[in-house]
Amino acid sequence: MKTMLLISSLLLPGAVHAAIAVVAHPSNQTSLTQDDLVRLYTGKMSSFPDGSSAIPVNLNDSSPLRADFDQKALGRSSSQVKAYWSKLVFTGKGTPPKEVASDSEVLSLVANNPNLIGYVSSDAVSDNVKVLLTID
Amino acid sequence: MKKSLLSGISSIVLLLPYTAMAEINISGFATIAGGRVLSGSGVEEFGLPPTFLANYPQVGVYEEEWSFKPDSRMGLQVSADLMDGLKVTGQIVARGADDFDASFEWAYISYQVNDTWTIQAGKKRLPLYYYSDFFDVGFAYLWLRPPADNYTWQIFNYTGINALFNTQLGSWDVSGNIYTGREDDRDNKLLSDFFFGAATREIWKDIIGGVVSFNRDWLDVRLTYMTYVNERFINEDGVDVQQTWNGSTERRGKFAGVSFNIDYNNIVFLSELNQLDLDGSKFDTYMVSLGYRFNSITPYISYADFDSDGEVHNTTSLGFRYDFHSSAAFKLQYDDVKDNGYDGLMVAGDSKSITFGVDLVF
Repeated sequence: MKTMLLISSLLLPGAVHAAIAVVAHPSNQTSLTQDDLVRLYTGKMSSFPDGSSAIPVNLNDSSPLRADFDQKALGRSSSQVKAYWSKLVFTGKGTPPKEVASDSEVLSLVANNPNLIGYVSSDAVSDNVKVLLTID
Repeated sequence: MKKSLLSGISSIVLLLPYTAMAEINISGFATIAGGRVLSGSGVEEFGLPPTFLANYPQVGVYEEEWSFKPDSRMGLQVSADLMDGLKVTGQIVARGADDFDASFEWAYISYQVNDTWTIQAGKKRLPLYYYSDFFDVGFAYLWLRPPADNYTWQIFNYTGINALFNTQLGSWDVSGNIYTGREDDRDNKLLSDFFFGAATREIWKDIIGGVVSFNRDWLDVRLTYMTYVNERFINEDGVDVQQTWNGSTERRGKFAGVSFNIDYNNIVFLSELNQLDLDGSKFDTYMVSLGYRFNSITPYISYADFDSDGEVHNTTSLGFRYDFHSSAAFKLQYDDVKDNGYDGLMVAGDSKSITFGVDLVF
């Protein structure tokens, strides 16, 4: 485990190493896997594992955490993610998650709506939201 | 504090707009590309100079001088979300091959019945091949254009009804659609301008088709089937003359195809295998492409083939895609076309061509 961490930090020199916290409303009781997260953010799933409706919120390109999330959570570069969505958008098969500009916007949206799910830098997490997953 | 609360509220309004006010989304795509034939045979029999037919349905043609028209295009999509699962979408596309005359390529309403099913009605792209319905959106695929030898069919839109589904089977994501409709193209571009040299009305009616895709991690498998009835009128001296095939004014086409795509550890493998049976005549197409992603640069090699009684051609392509921006890619591609057609069914002869361009989405 220690060597794994060491290797990953060697592979990402200079990257700001804040973990990504996937957050939802405090009342959210669901347990979410990373596969579920990928499905939610690629439009393949539109409800939480417990069946309640789930609306993902994304950060826009101007936020450095966005590229980090695309790479670490979805396993693709931001341009690959955009290529994926443009295939769906222009064929009427899907709509990408709404985008907001900052961690604080994500937090206030998620704190006010039990159907939303978002992500923020782990050091920005507030008491008004619940962390469902942490991605290093 | 007050300010952040306020901006929080405005974002909520943005995400959940009030009724009666449709949320309008505008998005778009563009490809600006230029190219030329480096050398080619043309077809002496037709008096055709060295030519590269890069886009069959739009008659996107490169010759021995630089041209920026054949592959360049721009699309604008406007979608209004009327809430409760109801949407209306229009897509206007302007193509260089058409002198940038803009027209509605898509115009449909969409109703999401539940998490699995969505019903759409209106004008849409015919989703025959893997890339058919996003053929115009260059940013969404690897090459400068989907292999021309495969994407040869003269009809690419239809008006009708489409039911989309999206579900999960174990760890597989399964999606697809079932559609029905017709297309009546009064002045079909490929047939009129390129093949018959006379105004041709091409009708594909009683279209019934379906697509199903299985997707898991790095593997994507797609099956497609479509059947239709063809009628055709060719203008002779101002009169539309209905064509007959073996004494009948109608002929049935059956199209079937399978596609395997792999995206694993930066290796990209793309393939398609398709057959059209038109009243017993077989038209076989296939393509294989292999690429490797070095960070933002993906070089690739591709081979595409078309084989029927008389019309026989293939293209070997080499190129790369460079993602220089999260919304834009630069591409350079070299195409070597071999036209082995016989009995007067040559298309555009052999050619070697170069094309470069930028794809973007917004």
